[in-house]
Amino acid sequence: MAQVYFEDVKVGDEVPQLKKNCSTQQLVLWAAGSGDFYQIHYDKDFAQRTGLKGLIVHGALKNAFLGQLLHDWAGEKGHVRKFGCAYRGMDEPDQDILCRGVVTKTYQDGGKNYVELDVWTEKPDGAKTSPGTAVVTLPSKN
Amino acid sequence: MAEEFQITDEMRAQIGKESEPWEYEVTTTSVRMYARGIGSDDPIHYDVDFAKSQGFRSIVAPLGYIGTPVFLPGKNDPTFGFPRREGGPRLNIPFRGLLDGGTETEYFDVICAGDTLVETSHLADLKLRESGRPMLFVTNEAVYKNKETGKVVAKQRLTSIHM
Repeated sequence: MAQVYFEDVKVGDEVPQLKKNCSTQQLVLWAAGSGDFYQIHYDKDFAQRTGLKGLIVHGALKNAFLGQLLHDWAGEKGHVRKFGCAYRGMDEPDQDILCRGVVTKTYQDGGKNYVELDVWTEKPDGAKTSPGTAVVTLPSKN
Repeated sequence: MAEEFQITDEMRAQIGKESEPWEYEVTTTSVRMYARGIGSDDPIHYDVDFAKSQGFRSIVAPLGYIGTPVFLPGKNDPTFGFPRREGGPRLNIPFRGLLDGGTETEYFDVICAGDTLVETSHLADLKLRESGRPMLFVTNEAVYKNKETGKVVAKQRLTSIHM
């Protein structure tokens, strides 16, 4: 992916979207990677006993998806300084999760080029399930 | 009991109490596993030679991954893997339901395979949602230092929801 430069970014720009769709296998892979083996993510009976309709996607996996969205956009010369989100809605396996971000502020400080963004995951009906923010530094063309 | 739950002064007194340190390991295997879990195909997370050619010490941890806590039987939670340390905050929460409420991470350096991080955390906030079904929001803040250099590499704020 081509490197994005600070001079090319303006408030209101949307970063390239990242579409995810988690199989139950992916949830197990991520459980192994993260060490989070909470059964609501792979044991449907357990999930339903806790009052859920069925399996749900890990909140922290959606957070990591937003990290991937930012990593891919910032490129090899950019740095993600801070990012995070709240888990406001549940996402299910085998359902599209759209990861999105929009630039809210650009500024320079201490010789660095800062870009602030709103980031979120979105269900197919447009509902935002993991709204958050991020701070990224980007290289300059000069 | 849960319907009558209130945050007590004893619970509030736990805010700010810091845990003992615990080591988190970042290995080539764990970085690749996490990258597979998020579905990334970026070679920076898989190919050591490629990562080195880009100027990194080894493959780079995907954003969101700050190592795996060293697991010692009887000392870590068997479901979540986090350490159950001596000392640190202790909360007697009556709710059985548990959900993740949010994650915020601030990075001060790149984390690579081969790093060992030393984490300490403290209880940062307790909030009770009293309308509708009671929900207790518990926020912890963790600081991760590189064991070799002593430099802070990341800070993370994690909120869990008990209901």
